[in-house]
Amino acid sequence: MASDDDPTILVFACNWCSYAGADLAGVSRLEMPPHCRVVRVMCSARVRPEFVIAALSRGLDGVVVLGCHPGDCHYSEGNYYTRRRALLLKELLEHVGIEPERFQLRWISASEGAKFAQTITEITGEIKALDGRREPPPEG
Amino acid sequence: MEQELREIVRKLLEEGAIEYFIGYAEGFEPLHTTPCFIERGEQVQALVWSPLCPYNLARYLHQMKNGAGKVGLVVKGCDARAIVELVKGNQIQRERVVVVGIPCQGQVDLAKLEDAFEGVEAVEGKGDTFLVTVGEKVHSVEKERLLREKCFSCRHPISFEYDFVLGEMSPLVYGSESEFAMVEELERLPVEERRAFWRAQFERCIRCYACRDICYACYCQECIFESKAPRWLEKTTTPLDNQTYHLIRAWHMVGRCIDCGECERVCPVGIPLRRLYKKVEKEVEQLFDYRAGMRVEDLPPLVTFAAEEPALSSRQDRSER
Ligand code: SF4
Ligand code: SF4
Ligand code: SF4
Ligand code: FES
Repeated sequence: MASDDDPTILVFACNWCSYAGADLAGVSRLEMPPHCRVVRVMCSARVRPEFVIAALSRGLDGVVVLGCHPGDCHYSEGNYYTRRRALLLKELLEHVGIEPERFQLRWISASEGAKFAQTITEITGEIKALDGRREPPPEG
Repeated sequence: MEQELREIVRKLLEEGAIEYFIGYAEGFEPLHTTPCFIERGEQVQALVWSPLCPYNLARYLHQMKNGAGKVGLVVKGCDARAIVELVKGNQIQRERVVVVGIPCQGQVDLAKLEDAFEGVEAVEGKGDTFLVTVGEKVHSVEKERLLREKCFSCRHPISFEYDFVLGEMSPLVYGSESEFAMVEELERLPVEERRAFWRAQFERCIRCYACRDICYACYCQECIFESKAPRWLEKTTTPLDNQTYHLIRAWHMVGRCIDCGECERVCPVGIPLRRLYKKVEKEVEQLFDYRAGMRVEDLPPLVTFAAEEPALSSRQDRSER
């Protein structure tokens, strides 16, 4: 189960689907790692890549962006932009040595409480596995 | 070519067609030219051209945004891409710029030149060689030995309409190596080694912002790094702040960097910035089939999308589930 050396993960969840999914996971009392901080945004496209860069550079262990499934964005097309940005950003991060596990994009609908819990558990596990072989993040 | 250029500029100024002309002039010593601004016909003698004219003069077009008059400038084929992007980004109007294309056939890397010769007085291009004048002697050197790295992947915009050309504007074709070879070399390293590589580079950065300030594409009225609320960066040059700076700037170069190489050339501590921006350029090309500065009509990659994106789907599985 959760321990203090679990990685801290910043989760951006869009208001209309994924945040509701997270909420559902909560009210259903599903088990999941406690070291995740959920930030509600109106749409996954609200997450500026600069947020992700700043969070990871400051030493957060991972950033997850959650949005509505393609075709379901409340603003019709927000998540299509998110998809393009995320793919490119991941390449840039990887190029400077930030492992792809540390930045992930997933689609979670309002009814997918279980998927939310499972996603967070899975990603926490992946990052924990990396941390085992990593030196500490830069100081400062 | 210089004479022809001077005549064009003299005429433009005397007819009142432009307010001033941006070109290259002799600098403080033979190997350094400097950007110059010509305002009157009698000043045109100052204009020079040689393989020692690195500056991307389109950088100076930012300042005409709020004026009304016309400005002229001379561009190498590669720099013309900056004009395409500035027009696309509504920073300038094409009809307010008089563009003189100069058929550049390769620029010299000063470090390579200084390694090979001492006391160089002049360099001139001739076919596959550079003629290097040292005292009484003129050495003929294969271009390959002295070219700037970026000139090995010389690219001109496909459909650019120059107002004047001083010869045939065609790219220099050299070398068979992929222009992304240096990026691919890094890609082959394990992720920890890449991290160590970039950390060592970023550590040296003194955040003088020269790389941003020389960049034609950094025309934001308020740069994110100057913003006080929110504040993205501290003034300190900790590894944390430096990494944030470099990644955010690389992100801002998506679809805009034309690989003029000016950032890397001006960096006082020798950070290989092209290896960062070329990565972005490579992915933009492979994922979105987009190259900056080629055609004004091309839509930048992040302001558009398709519901089905086959080019993305092979990699998507990794990030999206
Ligand atoms: S020019 Fe070099 S030292 Fe100055 S901010 Fe850019 S990378 Fe850092
Ligand atoms: S670094 Fe970014 S915010 Fe700053 S001027 Fe360049 S593009 Fe604009
Ligand atoms: S990032 Fe560097 S190479 Fe790219 S356009 Fe700006 S100055 Fe030129
Ligand atoms: S509202 Fe959910 S992704 Fe746009």
